[in-house]
Amino acid sequence: MMRRAIPVIGLVLTLAACTSEARQPQQGAAPAKLDLKTTTPAAGKGLGKVTWNLPYEPQTLDPIRSFNYAENTALANMCESLLRLTPDFKIKPGLAVKAANPTPTTWVYTIREGVTFWNGDPLTADDVAASLSRHLDPKLGTWWGDYFNTVKSVRATGPLQVTVTLKQPDALFNQAMATGAGAVVQKKFLDKAGKSLGSPSRGVMCTGPFTFQDWKSGDSMTLTRNDHYWDKALRAKSESLVLRFIADETTAVNALRSGEVDGQYFYLPPAGLGQLQKSTTGSVTLGRSLTFWALLGSAKSGPYADPRVRRALSLALDRAAISKVVFQGTASPQRALTGSDYWGYERKTYQKAYEALPPETTDLAKAKELLVQAGSPTKPIVIGVQGSSAVHEQTANLLKATGEALGLDIEIRVVPVEQYGNLYSDPKARKGIDAFLSTWYGNVPDPLDIYTVFRKGGRTNFNDYKAVDGAIAEARAEGDPAARASLVTGIQEKVTRDVVWMPLNNLPVILYMNKRVTGAVPSFPYLYYPWAAGLGAR
Amino acid sequence: MTTYLLRKLIALAVVLVVASFLVYGLLYLVPGGPMAFLLGNRSGTPEQIAAIRAQYRLDDPFLVRYAAWLGDAVRGDFGSSLVYRQHVSGLMAARAATTAFLVGYSTVLIVVVGVAGGVLAGLRRGRVDAVISAVSSAFLATPTFVIGVLLVIVFALGLGWFPVFGPGEGLFGRLYHLTLPAITLSLGSAAFLARITRASVREELGREHVETARSRGIAEALVIRRHVLRNASIPVITVTGLTVASLIAGSVVVENVFALDGLGSLFVRAILQRDFAVVQAVVLVLVAAFVLINLVVDLCYKALDPRMSR
Repeated sequence: MMRRAIPVIGLVLTLAACTSEARQPQQGAAPAKLDLKTTTPAAGKGLGKVTWNLPYEPQTLDPIRSFNYAENTALANMCESLLRLTPDFKIKPGLAVKAANPTPTTWVYTIREGVTFWNGDPLTADDVAASLSRHLDPKLGTWWGDYFNTVKSVRATGPLQVTVTLKQPDALFNQAMATGAGAVVQKKFLDKAGKSLGSPSRGVMCTGPFTFQDWKSGDSMTLTRNDHYWDKALRAKSESLVLRFIADETTAVNALRSGEVDGQYFYLPPAGLGQLQKSTTGSVTLGRSLTFWALLGSAKSGPYADPRVRRALSLALDRAAISKVVFQGTASPQRALTGSDYWGYERKTYQKAYEALPPETTDLAKAKELLVQAGSPTKPIVIGVQGSSAVHEQTANLLKATGEALGLDIEIRVVPVEQYGNLYSDPKARKGIDAFLSTWYGNVPDPLDIYTVFRKGGRTNFNDYKAVDGAIAEARAEGDPAARASLVTGIQEKVTRDVVWMPLNNLPVILYMNKRVTGAVPSFPYLYYPWAAGLGAR
Repeated sequence: MTTYLLRKLIALAVVLVVASFLVYGLLYLVPGGPMAFLLGNRSGTPEQIAAIRAQYRLDDPFLVRYAAWLGDAVRGDFGSSLVYRQHVSGLMAARAATTAFLVGYSTVLIVVVGVAGGVLAGLRRGRVDAVISAVSSAFLATPTFVIGVLLVIVFALGLGWFPVFGPGEGLFGRLYHLTLPAITLSLGSAAFLARITRASVREELGREHVETARSRGIAEALVIRRHVLRNASIPVITVTGLTVASLIAGSVVVENVFALDGLGSLFVRAILQRDFAVVQAVVLVLVAAFVLINLVVDLCYKALDPRMSR
């Protein structure tokens, strides 16, 4: 928890000094183009035991409540979904060999034959239907509700056939079946476990390449190789994977450097990233990612509710500096929330639309002009940031300095880390906060997955943005990729120009592996794909 | 003696009930709730939120919730964690062992180092006293986490003698893993105890009965043991008791630095997450530990000084 405030403050001052010379909109060169990976060198042979660290202890392994880094990192090796999101962002068959869409509101999944659960029982349509139906029961409290809002029913319509009926056509539902939303647990096990499903004493019963061995609450979780795994290409190379829960970043970095832990995924660069990059005992790989860093607008009144003020702040902000100062050179500036890794279809259309958006570089003169048009507001803008996080703190400093250069009064409000989550779910917690910093990610390679946030009445549409509600409904119902891409680029255009959420930087996956091991998946799909199957010795 | 113990135990029960009510009430008054941990940051239709709130009785009035909790607790059921959906007992068992081991280990270090240093400084004036006083001042002034970080850098990363993190397994493994954390946790308190011991020994040395004993020609060693140390130990025991009780709270910082998931870090997390059942259970354990340690201190007094028991 060492704070490195002093060098940052120094930098902010120099920044403020530069920004007051409005004649040079470009401060510093744009960051070098990063080489982001989707694979790491294959392992030569397996190991007896690999130790990995999770950023915190999972709350549960129940798939319907697993929608966060540690939970999904653990679960991805154990529970499989109907479809599979590959390390290079393609959606391929998983536990279903086929997904058919005979009518706009029906999806028929043909379940793979010969798949068994860890206990040797065969996988049937009943298991799939039971697992998916759990998302429909409000009492069970799924975290994946966004993908099941349109689902009317899930039924086993044959021994190896599951039919999902939708209330209205939905382009995202089937794609979500490649994420944790489509994870399958044995029905018999679900019925027996009840509420204790996914708890340390109970665990789960799935089909993946690693089996749940044990979970010592507060200490570690052990997964062992499933020797009867159906997909020979993805059979686990190593015998067991021990997951530790070191939440303190400095301690985690120390454990990686000392070799007590073989590897870890970081979703934000740790303060000790430099030490890891320079380490002689291991190496850092940056992976392609759907995660981004953004300032989420939540003001319904006051100056920040005015799109011109938001645009002014966005134009004045030096994203290259954020990349350099806050993310230690790992995060490319972004002009829209959804960068190129989201373009899973109609890439050309998306590419063209992206290039037509206002650039991610600064233009202070134009920003000042916009502010004058908005009536030069004097009321302070309150920005919420998470306590005990260097990344939040340093971005806040840069925002504040930008505000000063622009003539905007920005106030920073620090919210403790355990309560930060309330900002997303509780309007009362957001009271008096005009915007707050956040990482965010979509789950599938479709920009619509992100823009769906801005539906009217959506729980995460914090500032009640209404301009794209109709277009979102239309795009979700559009089965034709070309037509959908043109609708989604239209939504992107509006949301980006109005800076509903301010896109800042793309956050690559930061993977550290000890020299002893190689073969982990370095890209974002590690959250849903058995990333440890290929893990072994160099 | 039996009535004395009985009185103490009744008092303990009263303290526990009052503490549980106060903590429950305070937690209830603080704004914010566990919703983010129950439904995540992304989803939640109004009906889903309503179903979850009803299920966890989040909308029940305070007294109803407290009474329900108390009723279960009296029957030995401390409920389940909202966030982890496991029984509180299961959540606490592993962590309590880690914290107990850490606190026990630190206590031994504190008593050995603190008392030995204090007695040495008290009996030997001059250079020994000056060195011990200077060292104890330095330890008293250094924040716990700084000591922890320094120890890790030198002994774990630099020399590789000790592991960086984790509670370890088996008796030897635990001792090995918890050595640095225990040293970190105990240095400040050991220094404090050394100062108290030194002052107490000095005070006893200057007393009349010590002078009398000496003038009668009783051997110096015997004088020190029978007259000085025995009397000096009374304040030392008091301070040790209080220190050990405070270690339980102080362990939070150390647990963080060394990634030991003990009761301390569980407690802090549970408070911030408004995880009622967990907070209540940890409070009860801490309060009970506190009261029991005080009881042990009282019993030690009795053993040392029969006059105290009247």
